[in-house]
Amino acid sequence: MSATYVYGLVGADARLPEDLKGLGPSGRVSTIAHGEVAAIVGDVPVDRPIGTRDDLLAHEAVVDAVAATTAVLPMRFPAVVESDGVVEELIAPHHDHFVDVLDALDGKVQFTLKGRYEQDVVLAELVEEDPEIRALQEKVRELPEDASYYDRVRLGELVVTALEERRDDEGERLVQRLEPFAAEVVAHRPGQPDDVVNAAFLVERARIGEFEDAVEDTGRDLAGRVRLRLLGPLAPYDFVPEG
Amino acid sequence: MTVATQRQGGGYVERGGGGSSSLADVVELILDKGLVIDVFVRVSLVGIEILTIDARIVVASVDTFLRFAEATNRLDLYGKGKGGKDLTELVEGVTEGGARGKTTGMLDAAVDKVGDMLGGGREEREPEREEAPRRRPARQRAREREE
Repeated sequence: MSATYVYGLVGADARLPEDLKGLGPSGRVSTIAHGEVAAIVGDVPVDRPIGTRDDLLAHEAVVDAVAATTAVLPMRFPAVVESDGVVEELIAPHHDHFVDVLDALDGKVQFTLKGRYEQDVVLAELVEEDPEIRALQEKVRELPEDASYYDRVRLGELVVTALEERRDDEGERLVQRLEPFAAEVVAHRPGQPDDVVNAAFLVERARIGEFEDAVEDTGRDLAGRVRLRLLGPLAPYDFVPEG
Repeated sequence: MTVATQRQGGGYVERGGGGSSSLADVVELILDKGLVIDVFVRVSLVGIEILTIDARIVVASVDTFLRFAEATNRLDLYGKGKGGKDLTELVEGVTEGGARGKTTGMLDAAVDKVGDMLGGGREEREPEREEAPRRRPARQRAREREE
Protein backbone atom coordinates (compact mmCIF):
# COMPACT_ATOMS: atom_id res chain seq x y z
CA MET A 1 0.00 0.00 0.00
CA SER A 2 1.24 3.48 -0.74
CA ALA A 3 0.29 6.84 0.63
CA THR A 4 -0.58 10.15 -1.00
CA TYR A 5 -0.35 13.59 0.50
CA VAL A 6 -3.36 15.83 -0.10
CA TYR A 7 -2.81 19.60 0.05
CA GLY A 8 -6.31 20.67 -0.76
CA LEU A 9 -9.15 20.55 -3.25
CA VAL A 10 -9.84 22.66 -6.33
CA GLY A 11 -12.33 22.64 -9.18
CA ALA A 12 -11.54 19.96 -11.76
CA ASP A 13 -10.86 22.62 -14.38
CA ALA A 14 -8.41 24.58 -12.22
CA ARG A 15 -4.84 24.97 -13.45
CA LEU A 16 -2.07 24.80 -10.87
CA PRO A 17 0.91 27.17 -10.92
CA GLU A 18 3.89 25.44 -12.48
CA ASP A 19 6.57 26.05 -9.86
CA LEU A 20 4.94 24.27 -6.93
CA LYS A 21 7.31 22.34 -4.67
CA GLY A 22 5.72 19.65 -2.53
CA LEU A 23 6.93 18.05 0.69
CA GLY A 24 7.56 14.60 -0.78
CA PRO A 25 10.93 13.27 -1.98
CA SER A 26 10.06 14.06 -5.62
CA GLY A 27 8.74 17.51 -4.77
CA ARG A 28 6.11 17.03 -7.46
CA VAL A 29 2.60 18.34 -7.05
CA SER A 30 -0.22 17.24 -9.33
CA THR A 31 -3.97 16.75 -9.32
CA ILE A 32 -6.33 13.79 -9.31
CA ALA A 33 -9.74 14.75 -10.66
CA HIS A 34 -13.08 13.12 -10.20
CA GLY A 35 -16.25 14.74 -11.49
CA GLU A 36 -16.04 18.48 -10.85
CA VAL A 37 -13.46 18.24 -8.04
CA ALA A 38 -9.71 17.67 -8.10
CA ALA A 39 -7.38 16.85 -5.19
CA ILE A 40 -3.99 18.57 -5.14
CA VAL A 41 -1.67 15.68 -4.34
CA GLY A 42 1.96 14.73 -4.01
CA ASP A 43 4.14 11.93 -2.73
CA VAL A 44 4.94 11.33 0.93
CA PRO A 45 8.31 10.92 2.62
CA VAL A 46 8.66 7.26 3.56
CA ASP A 47 11.91 7.31 5.52
CA ARG A 48 10.80 9.68 8.25
CA PRO A 49 7.66 10.71 10.13
CA ILE A 50 5.67 13.40 8.40
CA GLY A 51 4.83 16.69 10.09
CA THR A 52 8.15 18.53 10.34
CA ARG A 53 8.67 22.26 10.14
CA ASP A 54 9.59 21.98 6.46
CA ASP A 55 6.51 19.87 5.78
CA LEU A 56 4.38 22.57 7.36
CA LEU A 57 6.00 25.34 5.34
CA ALA A 58 5.76 23.32 2.12
CA HIS A 59 2.07 22.62 2.73
CA GLU A 60 1.38 26.32 3.25
CA ALA A 61 3.46 27.40 0.27
CA VAL A 62 1.64 25.00 -2.08
CA VAL A 63 -1.84 25.81 -0.82
CA ASP A 64 -1.30 29.57 -0.82
CA ALA A 65 0.36 29.59 -4.24
CA VAL A 66 -2.70 27.81 -5.62
CA ALA A 67 -4.97 30.20 -3.71
CA ALA A 68 -3.33 33.15 -5.41
CA THR A 69 -4.99 32.20 -8.69
CA THR A 70 -7.89 29.87 -7.95
CA ALA A 71 -10.36 28.86 -5.25
CA VAL A 72 -8.88 26.15 -3.04
CA LEU A 73 -10.24 24.24 -0.09
CA PRO A 74 -7.23 23.58 2.13
CA MET A 75 -6.83 20.29 3.96
CA ARG A 76 -5.88 20.32 7.58
CA PHE A 77 -2.16 19.70 7.93
CA PRO A 78 -0.90 17.01 7.67
CA ALA A 79 -3.28 15.09 5.39
CA VAL A 80 -2.25 11.67 4.14
CA VAL A 81 -4.53 9.13 2.51
CA GLU A 82 -4.08 5.77 0.91
CA SER A 83 -3.27 6.36 -2.74
CA ASP A 84 -6.16 4.17 -3.85
CA GLY A 85 -8.52 6.14 -1.67
CA VAL A 86 -8.12 9.63 -3.13
CA VAL A 87 -11.05 9.23 -5.48
CA GLU A 88 -13.06 6.47 -3.83
CA GLU A 89 -12.78 7.56 -0.22
CA LEU A 90 -11.97 11.26 -0.33
CA ILE A 91 -13.64 12.85 -3.33
CA ALA A 92 -16.48 10.56 -4.42
CA PRO A 93 -18.37 10.30 -1.11
CA HIS A 94 -18.18 14.09 -0.53
CA HIS A 95 -18.26 15.30 -4.12
CA ASP A 96 -21.37 17.45 -3.99
CA HIS A 97 -20.42 19.01 -0.66
CA PHE A 98 -16.98 19.92 -2.01
CA VAL A 99 -18.56 21.45 -5.12
CA ASP A 100 -20.83 23.61 -2.95
CA VAL A 101 -17.97 24.79 -0.75
CA LEU A 102 -15.71 25.55 -3.72
CA ASP A 103 -18.56 27.46 -5.36
CA ALA A 104 -19.02 29.53 -2.23
CA LEU A 105 -15.29 30.33 -2.08
CA ASP A 106 -14.96 30.99 -5.78
CA GLY A 107 -13.50 34.39 -6.58
CA LYS A 108 -12.57 35.07 -2.96
CA VAL A 109 -9.29 34.96 -1.10
CA GLN A 110 -8.24 35.36 2.52
CA PHE A 111 -6.14 38.08 4.04
CA THR A 112 -5.04 37.91 7.65
CA LEU A 113 -4.35 41.18 9.43
CA LYS A 114 -2.22 41.32 12.54
CA GLY A 115 -1.45 44.37 14.59
CA ARG A 116 0.74 45.03 17.58
CA TYR A 117 1.03 48.10 19.73
CA GLU A 118 4.22 50.08 19.70
CA GLN A 119 4.77 48.93 23.22
CA ASP A 120 6.61 51.91 24.68
CA VAL A 121 4.11 54.39 23.27
CA VAL A 122 1.05 52.64 24.62
CA LEU A 123 2.61 51.74 27.99
CA ALA A 124 3.49 55.41 28.41
CA GLU A 125 -0.15 56.29 27.74
CA LEU A 126 -1.28 53.84 30.41
CA VAL A 127 1.14 55.22 32.98
CA GLU A 128 0.03 58.72 32.12
CA GLU A 129 -3.68 58.02 32.29
CA ASP A 130 -4.06 55.51 35.11
CA PRO A 131 -3.26 56.84 38.61
CA GLU A 132 -3.16 53.35 40.13
CA ILE A 133 -0.60 52.13 37.61
CA ARG A 134 1.47 55.28 38.07
CA ALA A 135 1.39 54.99 41.87
CA LEU A 136 2.37 51.35 41.81
CA GLN A 137 5.11 51.98 39.30
CA GLU A 138 6.57 54.68 41.55
CA LYS A 139 6.36 52.37 44.56
CA VAL A 140 8.08 49.51 42.75
CA ARG A 141 10.83 51.86 41.66
CA GLU A 142 11.72 52.65 45.29
CA LEU A 143 11.99 49.02 46.35
CA PRO A 144 14.75 46.49 45.77
CA GLU A 145 13.75 43.76 43.33
CA ASP A 146 13.28 41.05 45.98
CA ALA A 147 10.97 43.20 48.05
CA SER A 148 8.85 44.35 45.14
CA TYR A 149 7.89 40.97 43.72
CA TYR A 150 4.20 41.07 44.58
CA ASP A 151 3.90 44.72 43.65
CA ARG A 152 5.52 44.00 40.31
CA VAL A 153 3.11 41.14 39.67
CA ARG A 154 0.22 43.45 40.57
CA LEU A 155 1.61 46.23 38.38
CA GLY A 156 1.97 43.83 35.48
CA GLU A 157 -1.55 42.54 36.02
CA LEU A 158 -2.95 46.07 35.95
CA VAL A 159 -0.96 46.92 32.83
CA VAL A 160 -2.01 43.71 31.06
CA THR A 161 -5.67 44.24 31.97
CA ALA A 162 -5.56 47.85 30.80
CA LEU A 163 -3.78 46.87 27.59
CA GLU A 164 -6.33 44.17 26.83
CA GLU A 165 -9.25 46.53 27.47
CA ARG A 166 -7.70 49.07 25.17
CA ARG A 167 -6.95 46.62 22.39
CA ASP A 168 -10.34 44.91 22.59
CA ASP A 169 -11.86 48.28 21.89
CA GLU A 170 -9.34 49.48 19.30
CA GLY A 171 -9.12 46.06 17.65
CA GLU A 172 -12.87 45.93 17.22
CA ARG A 173 -12.95 49.39 15.68
CA LEU A 174 -10.11 48.42 13.37
CA VAL A 175 -12.00 45.35 12.15
CA GLN A 176 -15.18 47.40 11.74
CA ARG A 177 -13.35 49.89 9.60
CA LEU A 178 -12.20 47.17 7.18
CA GLU A 179 -15.32 45.01 7.30
CA PRO A 180 -17.09 46.84 4.44
CA PHE A 181 -14.31 45.73 2.08
CA ALA A 182 -14.69 42.02 2.87
CA ALA A 183 -17.33 39.37 2.19
CA GLU A 184 -16.75 37.75 5.57
CA VAL A 185 -14.63 38.40 8.65
CA VAL A 186 -13.39 36.13 11.43
CA ALA A 187 -11.76 37.96 14.33
CA HIS A 188 -9.52 35.85 16.55
CA ARG A 189 -8.54 36.81 20.05
CA PRO A 190 -4.98 38.17 19.78
CA GLY A 191 -2.34 36.08 21.53
CA GLN A 192 -0.30 38.60 23.49
CA PRO A 193 -1.61 41.48 25.60
CA ASP A 194 -0.03 44.03 23.26
CA ASP A 195 -1.41 42.40 20.11
CA VAL A 196 -4.23 44.60 18.90
CA VAL A 197 -5.81 42.55 16.17
CA ASN A 198 -5.68 39.12 14.52
CA ALA A 199 -8.47 38.90 11.99
CA ALA A 200 -9.12 36.99 8.78
CA PHE A 201 -10.90 38.75 5.92
CA LEU A 202 -12.45 36.89 3.00
CA VAL A 203 -12.05 39.35 0.13
CA GLU A 204 -13.43 39.20 -3.39
CA ARG A 205 -10.58 39.11 -5.87
CA ALA A 206 -12.05 42.07 -7.73
CA ARG A 207 -11.84 44.12 -4.52
CA ILE A 208 -8.33 43.16 -3.38
CA GLY A 209 -6.86 46.51 -4.40
CA GLU A 210 -9.60 48.38 -2.60
CA PHE A 211 -9.10 46.27 0.52
CA GLU A 212 -5.32 46.71 0.45
CA ASP A 213 -5.72 50.47 0.08
CA ALA A 214 -8.07 50.52 3.07
CA VAL A 215 -5.55 48.56 5.16
CA GLU A 216 -2.79 50.91 4.07
CA ASP A 217 -4.88 53.95 5.03
CA THR A 218 -5.55 52.36 8.40
CA GLY A 219 -1.85 51.67 8.84
CA ARG A 220 -1.04 55.28 8.08
CA ASP A 221 -3.59 56.53 10.59
CA LEU A 222 -2.20 54.24 13.28
CA ALA A 223 1.48 54.77 12.47
CA GLY A 224 3.60 55.27 15.56
CA ARG A 225 1.04 53.53 17.76
CA VAL A 226 0.12 50.25 16.08
CA ARG A 227 2.23 48.26 13.66
CA LEU A 228 0.09 46.39 11.12
CA ARG A 229 1.07 43.31 9.19
CA LEU A 230 -1.02 41.96 6.33
CA LEU A 231 -0.63 38.32 5.22
CA GLY A 232 -2.03 37.28 1.89
CA PRO A 233 -3.49 36.50 -0.47
CA LEU A 234 -3.98 33.20 1.35
CA ALA A 235 -6.15 30.12 1.08
CA PRO A 236 -9.40 30.57 3.03
CA TYR A 237 -8.14 28.74 6.13
CA ASP A 238 -10.56 30.52 8.42
CA PHE A 239 -13.55 30.08 6.15
CA VAL A 240 -13.58 26.31 5.69
CA PRO A 241 -17.01 25.09 6.81
CA GLU A 242 -17.11 22.49 9.56
CA GLY A 243 -17.90 18.92 8.59
CA MET B 1 5.81 34.36 -6.70
CA THR B 2 2.85 36.14 -5.26
CA VAL B 3 5.15 38.66 -3.67
CA ALA B 4 5.74 40.15 -7.09
CA THR B 5 2.06 40.90 -7.49
CA GLN B 6 1.81 42.68 -4.17
CA ARG B 7 1.80 46.39 -4.31
CA GLN B 8 4.24 48.18 -2.07
CA GLY B 9 1.91 51.08 -1.39
CA GLY B 10 3.03 53.73 1.03
CA GLY B 11 4.74 51.14 3.19
CA TYR B 12 2.79 51.70 6.41
CA VAL B 13 1.79 48.04 6.50
CA GLU B 14 4.26 45.19 6.50
CA ARG B 15 3.38 42.45 4.02
CA GLY B 16 3.76 38.70 4.18
CA GLY B 17 2.10 35.44 3.24
CA GLY B 18 1.77 33.63 -0.05
CA GLY B 19 4.85 31.51 0.55
CA SER B 20 6.87 34.24 2.20
CA SER B 21 5.50 33.90 5.72
CA SER B 22 7.54 33.25 8.82
CA LEU B 23 7.22 29.97 10.68
CA ALA B 24 5.38 31.78 13.46
CA ASP B 25 2.80 33.09 11.01
CA VAL B 26 2.38 29.74 9.31
CA VAL B 27 1.91 27.89 12.58
CA GLU B 28 -0.74 30.33 13.69
CA LEU B 29 -2.34 30.47 10.28
CA ILE B 30 -2.78 26.86 9.35
CA LEU B 31 -2.49 24.53 12.34
CA ASP B 32 -5.86 23.19 13.41
CA LYS B 33 -7.51 24.76 10.38
CA GLY B 34 -8.63 23.32 7.09
CA LEU B 35 -10.83 20.48 6.00
CA VAL B 36 -10.88 17.30 8.06
CA ILE B 37 -12.69 14.19 6.99
CA ASP B 38 -12.73 10.74 8.47
CA VAL B 39 -10.57 9.22 5.74
CA PHE B 40 -7.48 10.74 7.37
CA VAL B 41 -8.05 8.86 10.56
CA ARG B 42 -7.21 5.63 8.81
CA VAL B 43 -3.77 6.77 7.81
CA SER B 44 -2.15 4.48 10.35
CA LEU B 45 -3.22 1.64 8.09
CA VAL B 46 -0.78 2.92 5.50
CA GLY B 47 2.05 2.67 7.98
CA ILE B 48 2.97 6.34 7.88
CA GLU B 49 3.94 7.92 11.13
CA ILE B 50 2.49 11.36 11.69
CA LEU B 51 3.88 13.72 14.26
CA THR B 52 1.34 15.29 16.53
CA ILE B 53 1.71 18.99 16.80
CA ASP B 54 0.27 20.95 19.62
CA ALA B 55 0.81 24.58 18.86
CA ARG B 56 -1.09 25.98 21.76
CA ILE B 57 1.23 28.45 23.35
CA VAL B 58 0.58 28.78 27.02
CA VAL B 59 2.27 31.60 28.82
CA ALA B 60 2.01 31.54 32.58
CA SER B 61 0.15 34.66 33.60
CA VAL B 62 2.57 35.67 36.34
CA ASP B 63 5.40 35.61 33.81
CA THR B 64 3.34 37.78 31.50
CA PHE B 65 2.62 40.21 34.33
CA LEU B 66 6.28 40.44 35.27
CA ARG B 67 7.30 41.07 31.68
CA PHE B 68 4.88 43.93 31.34
CA ALA B 69 5.78 45.31 34.76
CA GLU B 70 9.39 45.34 33.62
CA ALA B 71 8.49 47.04 30.35
CA THR B 72 6.50 49.66 32.25
CA ASN B 73 9.30 50.25 34.72
CA ARG B 74 11.75 50.69 31.90
CA LEU B 75 9.68 53.65 30.76
CA ASP B 76 10.20 55.24 34.10
CA LEU B 77 13.97 55.33 33.74
CA TYR B 78 13.48 57.87 31.00
CA GLY B 79 10.48 59.60 32.51
CA LYS B 80 12.28 60.29 35.76
CA GLY B 81 13.21 63.90 36.31
CA LYS B 82 10.50 64.97 33.95
CA GLY B 83 7.83 64.19 36.45
CA GLY B 84 6.61 61.46 34.17
CA LYS B 85 4.11 63.98 32.85
CA ASP B 86 5.37 65.02 29.48
CA LEU B 87 4.23 62.21 27.27
CA THR B 88 6.09 63.43 24.22
CA GLU B 89 9.40 63.70 26.01
CA LEU B 90 8.79 60.43 27.73
CA VAL B 91 8.12 58.63 24.49
CA GLU B 92 11.03 60.22 22.69
CA GLY B 93 13.34 59.39 25.53
CA VAL B 94 12.32 55.79 25.51
CA THR B 95 12.59 55.45 21.78
CA GLU B 96 16.00 57.04 21.66
CA GLY B 97 17.13 54.98 24.59
CA GLY B 98 16.49 51.91 22.55
CA ALA B 99 15.35 49.99 25.59
CA ARG B 100 12.50 48.34 23.86
CA GLY B 101 11.09 45.15 22.56
CA LYS B 102 12.00 43.12 25.61
CA THR B 103 8.63 41.53 25.95
CA THR B 104 8.31 40.67 22.30
CA GLY B 105 10.71 37.78 22.62
CA MET B 106 8.24 35.49 24.29
CA LEU B 107 6.26 34.36 21.29
CA ASP B 108 9.44 33.93 19.32
CA ALA B 109 10.80 31.70 22.05
CA ALA B 110 7.61 29.69 22.08
CA VAL B 111 7.77 29.36 18.33
CA ASP B 112 11.33 28.13 18.60
CA LYS B 113 9.91 25.43 20.78
CA VAL B 114 7.26 24.59 18.25
CA GLY B 115 9.97 24.64 15.63
CA ASP B 116 11.93 22.13 17.65
CA MET B 117 8.88 19.93 17.92
CA LEU B 118 8.35 20.20 14.22
CA GLY B 119 11.90 19.00 13.76
CA GLY B 120 14.85 21.03 12.59
CA GLY B 121 15.43 20.59 8.90
CA ARG B 122 16.40 23.33 6.52
CA GLU B 123 16.11 26.77 7.97
CA GLU B 124 15.77 28.86 4.87
CA ARG B 125 13.07 31.07 6.33
CA GLU B 126 14.86 31.50 9.62
CA PRO B 127 15.79 35.17 9.16
CA GLU B 128 12.10 36.09 9.11
CA ARG B 129 11.80 35.05 12.69
CA GLU B 130 14.43 37.32 14.06
CA GLU B 131 13.25 40.21 16.08
CA ALA B 132 15.16 42.96 14.37
CA PRO B 133 13.54 42.80 10.91
CA ARG B 134 10.09 42.65 12.42
CA ARG B 135 10.72 45.77 14.46
CA ARG B 136 12.08 47.75 11.57
CA PRO B 137 9.79 50.24 9.87
CA ALA B 138 7.94 48.77 6.92
CA ARG B 139 9.28 51.47 4.68
CA GLN B 140 12.84 50.45 5.39
CA ARG B 141 12.03 46.85 4.58
CA ALA B 142 10.42 47.80 1.31
CA ARG B 143 13.49 49.80 0.36
CA GLU B 144 15.74 46.88 1.08
CA ARG B 145 13.68 44.61 -1.09
CA GLU B 146 14.05 46.95 -3.99
CA GLU B 147 17.80 47.04 -3.70
